[in-house]
Amino acid sequence: MRYLYLPLLAAGVAGVVHAPAFATQYLNVEQAQRLMFQDASAFREQNISLTLAQMQQVEKLAGLPARSVNWRVFGAYKGEALLGYVVLDDVIGKFELISYAVALSPDATVRQIEILTYRESHGGEIRNPAWRRQFVGKQAQAGLALGDGVANISGATLSASHVTDGVRRIAAIGQVALKK
Amino acid sequence: MMQMRRAQPWLGTLVDIAADGALPDAALADAITQAFLEVALVQRLMSFHERDSDVARLNRALPGDSLAVHPHTFQVLQLAQAIAAASNGMFNIACAPRLVAWDCLPAPSDAMPAYEPGLEVLRCEAGGMVRKLAPGWIDLGGIAKGYAVDLAIGALIDAGVGSACVNAGGDLRVFGADAVPVAIRDPRNPYNLRRGGASVLLRNEAMATSASYFSIKEWEGGQVCALIDGRSGAPLPSAASVSVRAPRCALADALTKVIAASGDIDHPALREFEATALII
Repeated sequence: MRYLYLPLLAAGVAGVVHAPAFATQYLNVEQAQRLMFQDASAFREQNISLTLAQMQQVEKLAGLPARSVNWRVFGAYKGEALLGYVVLDDVIGKFELISYAVALSPDATVRQIEILTYRESHGGEIRNPAWRRQFVGKQAQAGLALGDGVANISGATLSASHVTDGVRRIAAIGQVALKK
Repeated sequence: MMQMRRAQPWLGTLVDIAADGALPDAALADAITQAFLEVALVQRLMSFHERDSDVARLNRALPGDSLAVHPHTFQVLQLAQAIAAASNGMFNIACAPRLVAWDCLPAPSDAMPAYEPGLEVLRCEAGGMVRKLAPGWIDLGGIAKGYAVDLAIGALIDAGVGSACVNAGGDLRVFGADAVPVAIRDPRNPYNLRRGGASVLLRNEAMATSASYFSIKEWEGGQVCALIDGRSGAPLPSAASVSVRAPRCALADALTKVIAASGDIDHPALREFEATALII
């Protein structure tokens, strides 16, 4: 089946035509930031690009490949005082796509983890970057379960090891590239 | 649609908490945070993997040792004992050596005890103490998630939330005035939620589902999975999935293993714990 990718139309109908089988928007980025650093007066985007040496250090610390050079990071500030960092990441399973945020203290210890969105699809779409791009930057209403109205699922336990691996990686990145 | 919904990774899965009503947003967020703290506590106490958990300490203990454990751990061990007794040993928390042998769990140490069905490995004693009676390793993976869900619901109720749903990777519990629709994954197609499976309406109750579709793997020419029949230590790979509804999630969680092992949706343990079962 061939899809005609029409970005303008897709922005309006993405939720209808290509909806994942199950998706929940928990928090958007701003909500996650405010939840994780309630005292912050400002969040400043401070994205990082890892050097090769840093990537190697991250891999050694985390026991996992650093996976990406570029990472989306926000510094949380109260006035001029740094309260910590919020690092954003996405992990892809065979059928799941999970966006999440990790709050780090200034010394790079993990304070809190919040899932932003969880998407699940039974077709192969999850592995398709073009399909995933529909969801980048889209702000669905928080708390909304998308896709045929299924809001609650019971089943055998789905492992979240790719999320916990991601958190371990982010903690190592914090140690290597963020900690003052 | 619930006023607020958050999810965090705990207990090896994602724990999803939705809460609604009776509180402004900031207070609701705090209530959910309190609920997650309960889940985090259960992980700290009962994780097979964390070195300082009660479970790890009990697994390292030698026969004859007596250990103080947290009251939550003690309650879970007592409940596990009750379910084992009601199920003729089909539910057995000491199956961990089997899971380690199949690479489903990492070995806590080199000296792996053999799994012996019917062997009493631990005994709950006075004053919240637990005595190790024989070599053995326990894993609370078949009951701790349900227990964590119950504690989380308790925290939400204590905080004054109007209605809520706590879902720990498929083991869930709801409270509130309205019935909540829950879809059960089709074991033949667990990611296709558009057709197959089943749908139930829950009201002030818990439901847990056990199946082998996410844990099944090839092992030495056969199939193994995380579901085990405690009477023999044999794996229970199956195309079916068992769901149990019960007043508390810890009960629902543990009882799914009994129904999976017996294949009996009218097993007497269900009535004893005010539960019902379905197999799809």
